[in-house]
Amino acid sequence: MKTLTIVLTDGPYISEYAEIACKLAENALKRYHVNIFLYLDAVHIPKKGQNPSFFTCAGELLTGLAEKGAVIRACARCAAARGYIAEEENENGSNCKNYLPGIKISSLYELSEMLSKSDRVISLSR
Amino acid sequence: MKSVFYLLDTAPYGSEKAFGALNAAAVSLNRMQVTLGIYGDGVYLVAAGQDSRKLGVPNLSDILYSYGELRVLVHEPSLFERGLFGETLIETVELVDEEDFLESMESSDCVIRF
Repeated sequence: MKTLTIVLTDGPYISEYAEIACKLAENALKRYHVNIFLYLDAVHIPKKGQNPSFFTCAGELLTGLAEKGAVIRACARCAAARGYIAEEENENGSNCKNYLPGIKISSLYELSEMLSKSDRVISLSR
Repeated sequence: MKSVFYLLDTAPYGSEKAFGALNAAAVSLNRMQVTLGIYGDGVYLVAAGQDSRKLGVPNLSDILYSYGELRVLVHEPSLFERGLFGETLIETVELVDEEDFLESMESSDCVIRF
Protein backbone atom coordinates (compact mmCIF):
# COMPACT_ATOMS: atom_id res chain seq x y z
CA MET A 1 0.00 0.00 0.00
CA LYS A 2 1.26 3.46 -0.87
CA THR A 3 1.84 6.09 1.79
CA LEU A 4 0.56 9.66 1.96
CA THR A 5 1.95 12.16 4.45
CA ILE A 6 0.22 15.44 5.24
CA VAL A 7 2.18 18.19 7.00
CA LEU A 8 0.28 20.89 8.88
CA THR A 9 1.75 24.03 10.47
CA ASP A 10 -1.33 26.12 11.34
CA GLY A 11 -3.44 25.90 14.45
CA PRO A 12 -7.14 25.03 14.27
CA TYR A 13 -9.79 27.52 13.08
CA ILE A 14 -7.34 30.26 11.96
CA SER A 15 -7.56 28.53 8.58
CA GLU A 16 -9.47 25.63 7.06
CA TYR A 17 -6.32 23.58 6.58
CA ALA A 18 -6.93 21.19 9.47
CA GLU A 19 -10.39 20.39 8.15
CA ILE A 20 -9.16 20.12 4.55
CA ALA A 21 -6.36 17.78 5.66
CA CYS A 22 -8.85 15.59 7.49
CA LYS A 23 -11.14 15.38 4.47
CA LEU A 24 -8.20 14.45 2.24
CA ALA A 25 -6.99 11.88 4.74
CA GLU A 26 -10.44 10.37 5.20
CA ASN A 27 -10.66 9.61 1.49
CA ALA A 28 -7.02 8.67 1.13
CA LEU A 29 -7.33 6.02 3.85
CA LYS A 30 -9.32 3.91 1.38
CA ARG A 31 -6.18 3.44 -0.71
CA TYR A 32 -3.22 4.81 1.24
CA HIS A 33 -1.48 4.43 4.53
CA VAL A 34 -1.87 7.97 5.90
CA ASN A 35 0.50 9.93 8.14
CA ILE A 36 -0.25 13.40 9.48
CA PHE A 37 2.57 15.41 11.05
CA LEU A 38 1.62 18.37 13.24
CA TYR A 39 4.31 21.04 13.29
CA LEU A 40 4.54 24.53 14.82
CA ASP A 41 1.05 25.81 15.80
CA ALA A 42 -0.59 22.68 14.39
CA VAL A 43 0.28 20.92 17.66
CA HIS A 44 -2.76 22.72 19.14
CA ILE A 45 -5.17 20.83 16.87
CA PRO A 46 -5.51 17.68 19.04
CA LYS A 47 -6.02 19.59 22.31
CA LYS A 48 -8.76 18.18 24.54
CA GLY A 49 -11.76 20.27 25.47
CA GLN A 50 -12.23 22.28 22.27
CA ASN A 51 -15.73 23.62 21.89
CA PRO A 52 -15.97 25.70 18.71
CA SER A 53 -19.38 27.30 18.37
CA PHE A 54 -19.54 27.48 14.60
CA PHE A 55 -16.96 25.03 13.30
CA THR A 56 -16.36 21.32 13.28
CA CYS A 57 -14.07 20.32 16.14
CA ALA A 58 -10.72 19.81 14.40
CA GLY A 59 -9.32 17.68 17.21
CA GLU A 60 -12.18 15.20 17.00
CA LEU A 61 -11.64 14.89 13.25
CA LEU A 62 -8.05 13.86 13.94
CA THR A 63 -9.08 11.37 16.58
CA GLY A 64 -11.55 9.83 14.13
CA LEU A 65 -8.77 9.42 11.60
CA ALA A 66 -6.49 7.81 14.17
CA GLU A 67 -9.24 5.30 14.93
CA LYS A 68 -9.30 4.42 11.23
CA GLY A 69 -5.57 3.81 11.13
CA ALA A 70 -3.97 7.16 10.34
CA VAL A 71 -0.68 7.76 12.14
CA ILE A 72 -0.78 11.23 13.69
CA ARG A 73 2.26 12.69 15.38
CA ALA A 74 3.09 16.11 16.86
CA CYS A 75 6.54 17.68 17.05
CA ALA A 76 7.91 17.41 20.60
CA ARG A 77 9.70 20.76 20.61
CA CYS A 78 6.68 22.62 19.26
CA ALA A 79 4.39 20.78 21.69
CA ALA A 80 6.55 21.47 24.74
CA ALA A 81 6.75 25.16 23.81
CA ARG A 82 2.95 25.28 23.91
CA GLY A 83 2.51 23.30 27.12
CA TYR A 84 1.88 19.79 25.79
CA ILE A 85 4.24 17.38 27.46
CA ALA A 86 4.99 13.83 26.35
CA GLU A 87 4.55 11.20 29.07
CA GLU A 88 3.95 7.46 29.19
CA GLU A 89 1.44 6.26 26.64
CA ASN A 90 -2.03 6.03 28.20
CA GLU A 91 -4.96 3.71 27.54
CA ASN A 92 -6.30 6.11 24.89
CA GLY A 93 -3.31 5.60 22.64
CA SER A 94 -1.87 9.03 23.33
CA ASN A 95 1.23 10.00 25.31
CA CYS A 96 -0.08 13.42 26.33
CA LYS A 97 -2.81 13.91 28.93
CA ASN A 98 -3.96 17.10 27.17
CA TYR A 99 -4.38 15.41 23.81
CA LEU A 100 -7.36 13.59 22.37
CA PRO A 101 -7.06 9.80 21.89
CA GLY A 102 -4.77 8.35 19.26
CA ILE A 103 -2.45 11.33 18.74
CA LYS A 104 1.10 11.13 20.04
CA ILE A 105 3.92 13.57 20.60
CA SER A 106 7.02 12.47 18.75
CA SER A 107 10.42 13.65 17.61
CA LEU A 108 10.86 15.91 14.61
CA TYR A 109 13.00 13.11 13.20
CA GLU A 110 9.74 11.23 12.63
CA LEU A 111 8.79 13.89 10.08
CA SER A 112 11.91 13.05 8.14
CA GLU A 113 11.14 9.33 8.39
CA MET A 114 7.55 9.86 7.27
CA LEU A 115 8.62 11.95 4.29
CA SER A 116 11.32 9.54 3.19
CA LYS A 117 8.87 6.60 3.26
CA SER A 118 6.04 8.44 1.48
CA ASP A 119 4.86 8.18 -2.09
CA ARG A 120 2.92 11.44 -1.88
CA VAL A 121 3.30 14.46 0.39
CA ILE A 122 0.86 17.32 0.92
CA SER A 123 1.93 20.45 2.78
CA LEU A 124 -0.76 22.86 3.96
CA SER A 125 0.56 26.10 5.38
CA ARG A 126 -0.38 29.75 5.24
CA MET B 1 10.63 10.44 -1.35
CA LYS B 2 14.33 10.88 -2.02
CA SER B 3 14.39 14.67 -2.03
CA VAL B 4 12.56 17.45 -0.25
CA PHE B 5 12.40 21.17 -0.96
CA TYR B 6 11.61 23.34 2.05
CA LEU B 7 10.20 26.65 0.84
CA LEU B 8 10.58 29.59 3.20
CA ASP B 9 8.94 32.87 2.19
CA THR B 10 8.56 34.34 5.67
CA ALA B 11 11.00 36.74 7.32
CA PRO B 12 13.04 35.45 10.26
CA TYR B 13 12.17 36.54 13.83
CA GLY B 14 8.59 37.70 13.16
CA SER B 15 7.32 34.17 13.62
CA GLU B 16 8.56 30.66 14.34
CA LYS B 17 8.42 29.68 10.67
CA ALA B 18 12.07 30.26 9.69
CA PHE B 19 13.27 28.45 12.81
CA GLY B 20 10.84 25.62 12.04
CA ALA B 21 12.01 25.36 8.44
CA LEU B 22 15.66 25.23 9.51
CA ASN B 23 14.99 22.48 12.05
CA ALA B 24 12.94 20.43 9.61
CA ALA B 25 15.65 20.77 6.96
CA ALA B 26 18.36 19.80 9.44
CA VAL B 27 16.67 16.58 10.58
CA SER B 28 15.98 15.57 6.97
CA LEU B 29 19.63 15.69 5.94
CA ASN B 30 20.45 12.13 6.98
CA ARG B 31 17.62 10.58 4.95
CA MET B 32 17.04 12.72 1.89
CA GLN B 33 18.54 15.24 -0.45
CA VAL B 34 17.44 18.51 1.10
CA THR B 35 17.12 21.97 -0.44
CA LEU B 36 16.06 25.04 1.47
CA GLY B 37 14.58 27.52 -0.99
CA ILE B 38 14.38 31.09 0.27
CA TYR B 39 11.93 33.40 -1.43
CA GLY B 40 10.21 36.72 -0.77
CA ASP B 41 10.69 38.06 2.76
CA GLY B 42 12.54 34.85 3.61
CA VAL B 43 15.68 36.33 2.02
CA TYR B 44 16.29 38.47 5.12
CA LEU B 45 17.46 35.21 6.71
CA VAL B 46 20.70 35.21 4.70
CA ALA B 47 21.81 38.77 5.52
CA ALA B 48 25.19 38.71 7.26
CA GLY B 49 25.79 40.36 10.60
CA GLN B 50 22.49 39.58 12.29
CA ASP B 51 22.31 40.13 16.03
CA SER B 52 19.19 38.63 17.58
CA ARG B 53 20.29 38.77 21.23
CA LYS B 54 17.85 41.48 22.24
CA LEU B 55 15.01 39.48 20.73
CA GLY B 56 15.85 36.55 22.97
CA VAL B 57 15.93 34.11 20.09
CA PRO B 58 18.80 32.26 18.41
CA ASN B 59 20.67 33.87 15.54
CA LEU B 60 19.01 32.03 12.68
CA SER B 61 21.68 32.86 10.12
CA ASP B 62 24.27 31.24 12.41
CA ILE B 63 22.12 28.08 12.49
CA LEU B 64 21.86 28.14 8.72
CA TYR B 65 25.60 28.68 8.38
CA SER B 66 26.33 25.72 10.64
CA TYR B 67 24.64 23.26 8.25
CA GLY B 68 27.18 23.48 5.45
CA GLU B 69 25.84 20.33 3.78
CA LEU B 70 22.41 21.92 3.37
CA ARG B 71 21.80 23.30 -0.11
CA VAL B 72 20.37 26.79 0.25
CA LEU B 73 18.93 28.52 -2.80
CA VAL B 74 18.15 32.21 -2.55
CA HIS B 75 15.75 33.77 -5.04
CA GLU B 76 17.81 36.60 -6.47
CA PRO B 77 14.87 38.77 -7.63
CA SER B 78 13.59 38.79 -4.04
CA LEU B 79 16.95 40.18 -2.91
CA PHE B 80 16.75 42.89 -5.58
CA GLU B 81 13.23 43.87 -4.62
CA ARG B 82 14.28 44.37 -1.00
CA GLY B 83 17.50 46.26 -1.70
CA LEU B 84 19.61 43.38 -0.40
CA PHE B 85 21.45 42.58 -3.61
CA GLY B 86 25.02 43.79 -3.10
CA GLU B 87 24.71 43.58 0.67
CA THR B 88 26.92 41.07 2.46
CA LEU B 89 25.23 37.70 2.71
CA ILE B 90 26.24 34.57 4.59
CA GLU B 91 28.62 32.48 2.52
CA THR B 92 26.89 29.13 2.24
CA VAL B 93 24.07 30.11 -0.11
CA GLU B 94 23.52 30.00 -3.88
CA LEU B 95 21.80 32.88 -5.63
CA VAL B 96 19.50 31.70 -8.40
CA ASP B 97 17.09 33.33 -10.81
CA GLU B 98 13.37 32.63 -11.07
CA GLU B 99 13.80 29.85 -13.61
CA ASP B 100 16.41 27.91 -11.65
CA PHE B 101 14.48 28.34 -8.43
CA LEU B 102 11.33 26.88 -9.98
CA GLU B 103 13.27 24.11 -11.68
CA SER B 104 14.73 23.05 -8.35
CA MET B 105 11.24 22.98 -6.81
CA GLU B 106 9.89 20.93 -9.70
CA SER B 107 12.74 18.45 -9.62
CA SER B 108 12.32 17.76 -5.91
CA ASP B 109 10.04 14.90 -4.89
CA CYS B 110 8.04 17.10 -2.53
CA VAL B 111 7.74 20.71 -1.41
CA ILE B 112 7.01 21.70 2.18
CA ARG B 113 6.05 25.34 2.58
CA PHE B 114 6.68 27.51 5.61
